[in-house]
Amino acid sequence: MIDSAAFISFLEKNFQFICGVPCTYFKKMLIFLAEHKSELQLQHILATREDEAMGIASGVVFSGKQAIVYMQNSGLGNVGDALTSLAQLYKLPMVLLISYRGLESDRSFPEHDIMGEVNEAVLKAFNVPYWILSESGWESEMNLALKEMKNSSSPVALLVKDGVLSE
Amino acid sequence: MKGFEVITAMKDYISEKDIIISSNGNISREVYHHLPQPQVYLRGSMGLPVAVGLGLALANPNNRVIVVTGDGNFLMGMGSSVTASFYKPKNLKILILDNKSYFTTGGQQTVSPALNYSKFIDSLNAEYKNSKEASKDQIKEDLSRFLNSNTFAMLHLIIEASKENLENIPWHPENITKEFTGKISKLS
Ligand SMILES: Cc1ncc(C[n+]2csc(CCOP(=O)(O)OP(=O)(O)O)c2C)c(N)n1
Ligand SMILES: [Mg+2]
Repeated sequence: MIDSAAFISFLEKNFQFICGVPCTYFKKMLIFLAEHKSELQLQHILATREDEAMGIASGVVFSGKQAIVYMQNSGLGNVGDALTSLAQLYKLPMVLLISYRGLESDRSFPEHDIMGEVNEAVLKAFNVPYWILSESGWESEMNLALKEMKNSSSPVALLVKDGVLSE
Repeated sequence: MKGFEVITAMKDYISEKDIIISSNGNISREVYHHLPQPQVYLRGSMGLPVAVGLGLALANPNNRVIVVTGDGNFLMGMGSSVTASFYKPKNLKILILDNKSYFTTGGQQTVSPALNYSKFIDSLNAEYKNSKEASKDQIKEDLSRFLNSNTFAMLHLIIEASKENLENIPWHPENITKEFTGKISKLS
């Protein structure tokens, strides 16, 4: 598992805002965020939907600041229009941290099966470049994603598998 | 009153430092043509004007951020007004122009009449809140109170379903972003 303190400290260096809707896969990271709220330079904004979270992030990015949005891959099903008619259309760079549900460890959660199967195809169809976050190489994967985000001035995604950000 | 008349009446209260977000369709066109430019003119992302306004308000605490949204847009993203009221940024003003219709797509009716806006806004505890029919003799006072309130504010105005024949917004969204971020960098 990636150390929550190290991960959040990386985010703090690159973003002023983090916003999203939770997934169990982010539990540790979100506990860390809540517990260190007062000393962090990263403003955490709660959202009711993933497209709303992308809307909030868009407002932040319109202001010349940086935002990261976290969501379960179910939420990827909620953000199609926020992606295509807002963040991509207006060239608003942001990182989407998406849990990769529906793989082997989720066999008793059939609600994730179908999105799990099409998750990467959906990102490809939407032309969202993505990286799969690994425990050993996460910093370089994040840096690659950030570089692409800046070059394209558009959203990029990081997929988070079971056990990577929470056990 | 018509929507564009309300938007035109806002002009007297808007300064260079203000940030406006307009919802897609006619409202964005009217804001583009009648109020100082540039602003965040949404062309798509129906349902998200309040969310985008919240992001702008949180990221620019020293500027007034005014969301101008249609009822269809407001209802589609109703959760966002709950989120906004959870944070209650003092600089965020939400103006709902309610023509009870999806006017832009041909005037189909919305479910807006089922919502008691007054009670809903009241339940969000916005420090400034008002829900009424827009009227020519009160609009100046209503807008000035709403826009000059030093608090999170929500104003719901029932308007006549109608529009002006205005040119489409000539800027591509990428240019909207360029123009707007240029303005923001000069503000700070
Ligand atoms: C997700 C989505 N669904 C449908 C549309 C089509 N559409 C464009 S404007 C509009 C009506 C918006 O209604 P409202 O916010 O009340 O503004 P009005 O047109 O009445 O001024 C609709 C349905 C769209 N752009 N996006
Ligand atoms: Mg309407």
